[in-house]
Amino acid sequence: MYIKGVGMTKFGAQTTTSQELVYEATLEALEDANFKIEDIDAIVVSAIDNESNGERQRLFSNVISSILKKKVPILTSTAVCGGGGAALWTANKLDYNNVLVVGVERLLSTNSMRVTDEIMMAAERIYEQTEGMNFPAQNALVAQQYMLRYGATTDDLALVAFKNHKNAFLNPKARFYKKKVSLEEIKNSPIVASPLRLFDCSIPANGASALILSKDKTDVEITGSAEETDYLAPFEREDMTSWDASKLAADEAYKQAGIAPDDVDIAEIHDAFTSVELISYEDLGFCRKGEGKEMVRKGLTNIDGRMPVNTSGGLKAKGHPISATGVSQIYELVKQMRNEAGERQVSNVKHALAQNIGGAGSTVTVHVLRKVGS
Amino acid sequence: MIIRWVCENCNKKWIYPVEKCVYCKGNIEKQKGSKIKVVGITKVTIPSPMHPIIPYNILLLQDEFGNRIPRKTMKEYKIGDDFVLQKAKTKDAVAVVKVKYDVYEAIKESIELLNGIGLNPNDKILVKPSVIAAAYPYQAVNTNPDFLNALLIVLFEHGIKKENIIVAEQALIGSDAKDAASKAGILEICKKNGVEFVDISKCPFEHIESDGYTFRVFNEALKRKVINAPIMKTNFQLGISGALENLSRLVDEKTQRNMYFDNIEKTLPKLAKAISNIFTVADATNGMQGQGPLALGEPAFLNLVLASRNAAALDSVFCEATMLPIPQYVTDYSDNLDVKKIEVVGNEVDALKYPIKQPIATDTAHPDIKVIDGKSCPSCLNIMYNLTSKLVGLRGEQINLIMGSMPTQDMINGKERLVVLGDCAIKKIWDLRIKHIAKIDENIGEVEQLVLLKKMLTTEGKPKITPVDRVKSKMKKLISKVIG
Repeated sequence: MYIKGVGMTKFGAQTTTSQELVYEATLEALEDANFKIEDIDAIVVSAIDNESNGERQRLFSNVISSILKKKVPILTSTAVCGGGGAALWTANKLDYNNVLVVGVERLLSTNSMRVTDEIMMAAERIYEQTEGMNFPAQNALVAQQYMLRYGATTDDLALVAFKNHKNAFLNPKARFYKKKVSLEEIKNSPIVASPLRLFDCSIPANGASALILSKDKTDVEITGSAEETDYLAPFEREDMTSWDASKLAADEAYKQAGIAPDDVDIAEIHDAFTSVELISYEDLGFCRKGEGKEMVRKGLTNIDGRMPVNTSGGLKAKGHPISATGVSQIYELVKQMRNEAGERQVSNVKHALAQNIGGAGSTVTVHVLRKVGS
Repeated sequence: MIIRWVCENCNKKWIYPVEKCVYCKGNIEKQKGSKIKVVGITKVTIPSPMHPIIPYNILLLQDEFGNRIPRKTMKEYKIGDDFVLQKAKTKDAVAVVKVKYDVYEAIKESIELLNGIGLNPNDKILVKPSVIAAAYPYQAVNTNPDFLNALLIVLFEHGIKKENIIVAEQALIGSDAKDAASKAGILEICKKNGVEFVDISKCPFEHIESDGYTFRVFNEALKRKVINAPIMKTNFQLGISGALENLSRLVDEKTQRNMYFDNIEKTLPKLAKAISNIFTVADATNGMQGQGPLALGEPAFLNLVLASRNAAALDSVFCEATMLPIPQYVTDYSDNLDVKKIEVVGNEVDALKYPIKQPIATDTAHPDIKVIDGKSCPSCLNIMYNLTSKLVGLRGEQINLIMGSMPTQDMINGKERLVVLGDCAIKKIWDLRIKHIAKIDENIGEVEQLVLLKKMLTTEGKPKITPVDRVKSKMKKLISKVIG
């Protein structure tokens, strides 16, 4: 399948309704594809009904039907933070000519205590939620095990955050666009769940992203699409410091694409926490186990590095509207492959990779894109 | 203790209780790790509704089999520390254990933390669950049947013979105990375990005196060791229904009425002091919050088992954990036992604390019917709950329903459209010479009570029951009798 068009709203704290967000992102994707809405044969949507101020909406697929005036098959595919990637994976399996994939979330609609609670519902109910295991805590324990075993430090985590904030500074769609964040600010930000600080955590946001998947040949082809699932709670897994779902999904996606990790020119990685980006370098095969820290220390994943990661700013600084995140990663990669990424453009991108995670390594999708003609 | 369910055949492990291996169909056994070390720690500084007190620590614990679990604590640990739970050193200690999908293990652990119940195989046991009204287990009105089942298994493991155990309870006055126990799933558990369910209201009682007050107490409660097994709930009259309140149904109906008439908050502690040999194992797995103790309250996922030899200490610790005020009758019973000084074993109270919804003393099922409660007995409580529930949806002008023997002028001042419910309140209002728009006799039929309350809600001025209403009421009564 090929990517015909992409669209996304700015990720931010806007009070726009979910319908409006979807509409805006879809319209941009349609215009980008030079498509009419009539050309869409099916839709896959991802949203977790997270408007915790009380404006809840189940059966969002039918809201999409209503707002886009489409009476075609509309499926819902959710995997919390990995919902966008899961929707794309689902769409890629469908035998339709043109499929619209949309991810949307209004995460910011209430106070942060409620938002923390809503996200915490994706942790294991008895073993984790009742023990106060919110997502920063869950990832903090993983990060600590990783740091103990491989000697990574909080300074390494800060470098990840700093890199992604620098990238977001250049991205008009990012929540931290034109907002400068210094390394000192990152290192001195308050502890959220030790060893993770505030700037180690992704920034919540509202937003939507959309893409049109097509059988018609375009300039960007999806050559690898894999989804893998692991146990919900990291403590149950044999090794907390390496996420099987990531490794398996990456292996499968590379196999489908016929490439090796070294062939990847650019990647959007699910940096819900800075530690996840480090662990993912290793799980995706960009370096050996325990060497993730070296990649960030040497600047290999900087925008001008050997393999730029999260040129969009990532979840860290572009923002993380849960279900919209996975599709927005593809948006960034397509823009890069078409040389439309403006100030953050990476040269000569042939192969790109998107990794989207639901939970702490629980549901992972990996997509590999190829610049057609490369 | 860390538990895993492991296939005897292929060694696959689960964190959830399973009965057969889905791979090889092998039998499952529990793997219980007891040598536990701290292998990870995070200090959390952001609050969430269930964990509002910060900072707190989450330990990553690992046992000798390599199994891990997270555990919240307010204490400081270092990586490499042993994690050991201390057993109780004082007689008033309260054990608080979180249920990790296995209520039986939680009950067992709570008892072990208190150094055992102290039972002999030939002991005769009275298990006293809370079964106050016909309600499904999910409604959390009554002790959960799975909890009772697990408790009975633990008793059998102590060598207690099933013929020496009775499960005894009476429902709220006006309700049938067996109907309630049937809907609550309690009868089925008794039957399954070969244990007799006894309706206390139909049994002999004995006079006893305690602190100058005379009670007619279920005679078996005086002869047997009592395992008090309440469900932990909010109670809009008493603050909470827990370990102490559950004992109030060990007396006959007349004593219950008297206890409320003479102020339940004073008489209940006297009753509790009169019954010795009580060991409480409380069901706070799925407790109740808000307008308890009946189904107007909301089930609250608490996931706890509490145990103690001191019922008031247990109630106090429950209130601390759920951030409810400790009722006066609880502190009175325990001679003002300071909750901060109660020894708590198992989980730390500070690490459990989160505010469940408190009951509102004036609220009923109906938004336009408020209650002025002078500590009514369970009979009028039951009537009030039934009537107000049946009128939900019918809006009208607010009325204030006075109940119980202890309404005061202060409670009534400034309140209009007063309606008096029940004999105690009618007598008290007469004594106080308080103007009211109507009174509802507790002895007339429910249909007439309902018609009267409905008229008062929707009619301005002083409503009356007309002869037509009476005929209608009798007809309805007759029809409902015929239908059964």
